[in-house]
Amino acid sequence: MGHSELTGELIPRHLNVRVIAKDNLETFLGGLREFGEVFGPVEKERGAYIYAQLTDVKNVVQDAQRTVLPPKKYLYPQKEELFRFSTQEGYRKPESVDKGRKILFGVHPCDIHGLSILDKVFAGRYHEPRYFDRRDNLIIIGMNCLPDERCFCYSMGTDWVEKGFDLFLTELEDSYFVKIGTSCGEDLVHAQAELFRPVTDEDIQLYKERVNERNKMFVNRVELANLPQILELEYESEVWEELGRKCLSCGACSAVCPTCYCYEVYDVLDLNVETGSRIRRWDACLFKDFAKVAGGHNFREERSTRVKHRFYHKQVTFVEEFGRPSCVGCGRCVTQCPAGINLIDVFKEIRGEKVVHKSAR
Amino acid sequence: MSKPKIGIFGLTSCAGDQLAILNCEDELLDIVGAVDIKSFIMAQSELKAVQDQMEDSRFDLALVEGAVVTDEDEKMLKKIRDNTKLLIAIGTCAAWGGIPASRNDLEREELYQIVYGRREDLFGCHKPRPLRDFVQVDFSLLGCPIEKEEILRAFSSLLHEDVPVLPTFPVCFECKLNENLCIFKEKDDLCHGSVTLAGCGARCPSHGVPCRGCRGPVDEANIPSVYHLMKEKGYPVADVERALRTFTYNAEIPQ
Ligand code: SF4
Ligand code: SF4
Ligand code: SF4
Ligand code: SF4
Repeated sequence: MGHSELTGELIPRHLNVRVIAKDNLETFLGGLREFGEVFGPVEKERGAYIYAQLTDVKNVVQDAQRTVLPPKKYLYPQKEELFRFSTQEGYRKPESVDKGRKILFGVHPCDIHGLSILDKVFAGRYHEPRYFDRRDNLIIIGMNCLPDERCFCYSMGTDWVEKGFDLFLTELEDSYFVKIGTSCGEDLVHAQAELFRPVTDEDIQLYKERVNERNKMFVNRVELANLPQILELEYESEVWEELGRKCLSCGACSAVCPTCYCYEVYDVLDLNVETGSRIRRWDACLFKDFAKVAGGHNFREERSTRVKHRFYHKQVTFVEEFGRPSCVGCGRCVTQCPAGINLIDVFKEIRGEKVVHKSAR
Repeated sequence: MSKPKIGIFGLTSCAGDQLAILNCEDELLDIVGAVDIKSFIMAQSELKAVQDQMEDSRFDLALVEGAVVTDEDEKMLKKIRDNTKLLIAIGTCAAWGGIPASRNDLEREELYQIVYGRREDLFGCHKPRPLRDFVQVDFSLLGCPIEKEEILRAFSSLLHEDVPVLPTFPVCFECKLNENLCIFKEKDDLCHGSVTLAGCGARCPSHGVPCRGCRGPVDEANIPSVYHLMKEKGYPVADVERALRTFTYNAEIPQ
């Protein structure tokens, strides 16, 4: 049966799609080591997935839910030394960072959008060479995941990707539909061509069904139209005070967010007090010290103003600067907030009856 | 520049923080090269009374471990303060009272009865209290025990006449950097990471064990919110409060 389908090769078919049997995927991932180190989602503990190096491809979880940290950790690590300095020699610009090629498997559409947002930020007014040294060496193999009750990418327009990946997989029955996004992706397929087959009419039919089914699975709908405007109108809303009473200023939401990029820079001296390192680590606008400046003045002393800031930066000021919200609806902050603050509920509340009543009056 | 003179002292405590300094094995020689350690009873083979050592030197920096429990502790602490330019509290006992203070809700007699079966005071103890109740403390290194990384950073910064930049945020942040499942959220464990000062790398939750708050409360700890969340999870307020006070009885805990 399969053989007759193979004759599909004779029919002109889109060259940028292929099919790989699920049974072949691990072999494919193992073979990718020719191109670089291979990373993908693994189950760290029950219910917690993380991206990790696939030293054993058998550990990969093909249908993993969102990872705790997004892929940004590979481009912009939690903590890193920027350079060393000494009283004798000043500081030397470091050799560019770990330029080794990395292949990241299983990246969900929201995270691919997250990366493209970080690209914009780090390519902006202050180009960040370390980020792009790594970015240029990152190969992305996307995966068309199925949403759970915390995903709202559909509303953020990030449930689907047209670019930003080298390969992109969608689950069919016992195989994956593989979209080739770049010439690099084509090379990856070509190197192990024997694992792939051309698509058949049946595959295409199945693929369309799958995509349609998936679209129906998004239960969370957040109405985004004019949200920035509504947020601006609700700047003094009691909702922010309430959130301020709840929030623990723990920064978990920022740490796990694929588009939060704030960092802190400080020096660590060696005991000789002659040499030292400049360190950069992730920071979070929820921390009390975040907006504290010389002289002890703090622009966002009150916790409620900090929670509010995070929402407004994602949904209002980022839109003004980059034309879209920086939230990609991945649901990580919803999953991780120990205080149970849920962005979806907050938007609903902000948009809720109150707003309607006001405009009705 | 002459090397700064340093004294390392212990009041009533388990000596874990002094041990943590000794455990900086790879860096010990660098430490000794950078500073002049004038007194460190725990690391001395020849014992000379601390009092005498203090007569001999004035310190640039004194690191003091332990809670103030006896009159001798208090006397010694004041003496140290008089003889040093800077005083650093090391460990949660020194900074907050720590474990020794965890049952400060009970009278001593009651505790003697429970522990020794007699109500009389055998040791001349008072309710354990942190150093700052008696003298000015310039800086604190937290932890039970303190972290090696922070000891080294404190030394190098102070040698540079600066204060070290240490985390001021809660353990949860480090917990997420380590990509742990939140056991507070997912397993309803009584984890105090959200109100506890980071710096330990979220050691306990990274091993699947709830944070018990050994590094003391973070500035602006949102206790009312934590109470509320724990109550929702079905914990009686008294349990939560007991747990919160394990290391920091002397912290103000708003209801
Ligand atoms: S704000 Fe929350 S849902 Fe939006 S991208 Fe960040 S972590 Fe995901
Ligand atoms: S994760 Fe939740 S509690 Fe923590 S800072 Fe963010 S909103 Fe506040
Ligand atoms: S497990 Fe504890 S420390 Fe970690 S995020 Fe949850 S509450 Fe915070
Ligand atoms: S996780 Fe909590 S209890 Fe454990 S070492 Fe850190 S502060 Fe102490």
